[in-house]
Amino acid sequence: MDVRSQISMVFHLDKCIGCHTCSIACKNIWTDRKGTEYMWWNNVETKPGTGYPTKWEDQEKYRGGWELKGGKLSLKSTGRARIVPNIFHNPSLPSMDDYYEPWTYKYEDLFNAPEGPDQPTALPISMVTGKYMDVEAGPNWDDDLGGSPVYAENDPNLDGLTPEQRQQLFAIERLVFFYFPRICNHCLNPACVASCPSGALYKRGEDGIVLLDQKRCRAWRSCVAACPYKKTYFNWYTGKSEKCILCYPRLETGQAPACFHSCVGRIRYLGVLLYDAEMIETVGKTDDANLIDAHRSMILDPFNPKIIEAARKNGIHDSTIQAAQMSPVYKFVKVWKIALPPHIEFRTLPMLFYVPALSPVMASRTEDGILNSSEDLFHDVESSRVPLAYLAKLFGAGHDGKVRYALRKQKAVRMYRRMLTVGDVDRETVDRMLREADTTAEEAEMIYRLTSLCTFEDRFVIPPAHREEAIEMMKDPYEHKSSVGFGFLSAPKRGL
Amino acid sequence: MRPHGIGFLRPAAFLAPVVLIFVSARAQSQDAAAFFKQNCTSCHTIGGGRLVGPDLKGVAQRQPDRKWLVDFISDPNSKLDAGDPYAAKLLGEARGARMNKVAGINQTIADSLLVLIDAESRLAKSQFAGTQISDRPFTGQDIANGRNIFLGQTRLAAGGAACVSCHSIVGLRSLGGGRLGPDLTKAFERLGGRKGLATWLSAPPTLTMNPVFRNTPLDANAEILPLVAFFQDAAQRGGVADTSTSMFNFLLLGLGGTVVLLILFDLFWLKRFRAVRKPMLLGLDVGGHK
Repeated sequence: MDVRSQISMVFHLDKCIGCHTCSIACKNIWTDRKGTEYMWWNNVETKPGTGYPTKWEDQEKYRGGWELKGGKLSLKSTGRARIVPNIFHNPSLPSMDDYYEPWTYKYEDLFNAPEGPDQPTALPISMVTGKYMDVEAGPNWDDDLGGSPVYAENDPNLDGLTPEQRQQLFAIERLVFFYFPRICNHCLNPACVASCPSGALYKRGEDGIVLLDQKRCRAWRSCVAACPYKKTYFNWYTGKSEKCILCYPRLETGQAPACFHSCVGRIRYLGVLLYDAEMIETVGKTDDANLIDAHRSMILDPFNPKIIEAARKNGIHDSTIQAAQMSPVYKFVKVWKIALPPHIEFRTLPMLFYVPALSPVMASRTEDGILNSSEDLFHDVESSRVPLAYLAKLFGAGHDGKVRYALRKQKAVRMYRRMLTVGDVDRETVDRMLREADTTAEEAEMIYRLTSLCTFEDRFVIPPAHREEAIEMMKDPYEHKSSVGFGFLSAPKRGL
Repeated sequence: MRPHGIGFLRPAAFLAPVVLIFVSARAQSQDAAAFFKQNCTSCHTIGGGRLVGPDLKGVAQRQPDRKWLVDFISDPNSKLDAGDPYAAKLLGEARGARMNKVAGINQTIADSLLVLIDAESRLAKSQFAGTQISDRPFTGQDIANGRNIFLGQTRLAAGGAACVSCHSIVGLRSLGGGRLGPDLTKAFERLGGRKGLATWLSAPPTLTMNPVFRNTPLDANAEILPLVAFFQDAAQRGGVADTSTSMFNFLLLGLGGTVVLLILFDLFWLKRFRAVRKPMLLGLDVGGHK
């Protein structure tokens, strides 16, 4: 057993209101520089929709992630045989059009325009060329199913849905969608790290954050092609790739990442998971049907004395183990099993998990009131407006079992709370629902509390970074602290 | 003076004088014969009649000045350029075909060659009486075979390079032949007709051809005969190898080839990544998700 710690995340989609505050917080801190205009380390997509970059989930086109070939895991984009003939031009890169051409407006025209019969207008200017341009696409062009039906209809996850199920999604006046915020998943088997010819990408030992060394990057852009989530981006100005750094300077000082901190719907949870690094390859090779179970089995119980012992032996600090015991992510993923990894069939073993969104409740109104205690209590999970098959494509590697389980449990928690607060559901029905959803009243109460009443400390359990221990290896931490403070990788140059 | 590089004289230095004379004489005659066969027989016979150059039988009687002969053999150009009257007479007899300086010749070798020619002249039938190639009249089949050999469609048995690699000739289609060597349309006349050309081909003497064919000689009846037939046919047809049209054809072929290659590349990489968003909007998403 090789116990390691990983800062992992849960996004509770049922709470996401699609306000893009996370995207803006991230953009303002990290990607407001020249060359990064088009980058959205955090973006929020409407599902069904094609996302950003367009159709990123279609790996037949983008060739991201891993594939299982003859019992071996290999990158779809860059095998040894593929990288040599493509060394000067990687064919699987999204073009600027597949992201979008970043633009601003010529605001000074609003003020400098001479007096005339028309209102002055500010025309869009490309932030790449500086010339006037026609805006044709943006990072959330299909937000709230806007733009054109083409985007939603081309969602790769709609593959394999029956025409009726599609109809269900797009029926007039019954349109349904949910939001899907995305950041780097800080995977356990990151394709970007594996693909980099320069060794510029690495997974940080102490907390598993995947980082890209700007000094080592040689602009091969293999990571851009290899990442199936398209979460590494090429800075056209510096000639280096960049990606989400999970705000590690904030984490090291005990603050939640900016997108987590600013989240209006409080959908984001962050905490430590202990996992067994020896299992990565075996899990990566598991067949699609068992992939989620295998992934969960890597995550270790932080209360088990044997695992604590093994973690200590691996140099994991007691404070980190404590944080793992309090981790909200551990509860969502491992205990309650209602958070699922996105597109785990890409086999990068993402460490960002999603609680799938319940569709709008479709109770039928009768003369006796609202009918919601039918024989089949989970009827609106099974025939929810967002078909299970669609969610299964996103969160279940095509198998809907795990998604159904997560939705039923959420549904049961709702009914349980409805019984307590509204009181129009009887105890017997709720008990049956809880039982059928594989949960108890106590667990339902805990899920409810962490979902709805969660405080800052409940949502973000950030282990101390212990930078002083890392610096101790190189110099006296007191001297370092007095000269530069902790958190800096290299001291500033002073004097002449 | 004993120049270096004369391998056949070197053992002599270690032997008694008598042995020296005996052995060196034998060695000389053997090596001289090989040298003669390699370098001289394409233009000269001994008792076989005139080729490009004169029959060398009794050359010592025709020009008794041995020093002159040695000088001429080791460096014909100096005599020819100096306007020597006898050399001028020879040039006239050869209809202007100049004798080239043979690669690796020097005065010692020239001397030993003269010794050899003397000895051979006294024989009733010299081994250098000319290449023994059938005298039968050429057939159409011979000309066709010769053309194939010229074009390299029939490989040379010894592995030599095909004529077309360096030479062109009248009547070649499309691209014509090589430009490195001269146009061979008139080679039949230039090298003295059937016998002369055949002998020339049996051991090409020029500085360029000699190294190429020294180790890969042509076969007398299977290759030289059809080639001579082909050259004779070309000479009878006359004209010169057409280079202008072949230049144009070459350009056309290059352009056509490029187009074909580009089409092949496009077909081979048909499923390559191009763009996603625009084709999707235009409904051109081949193999996409509809």
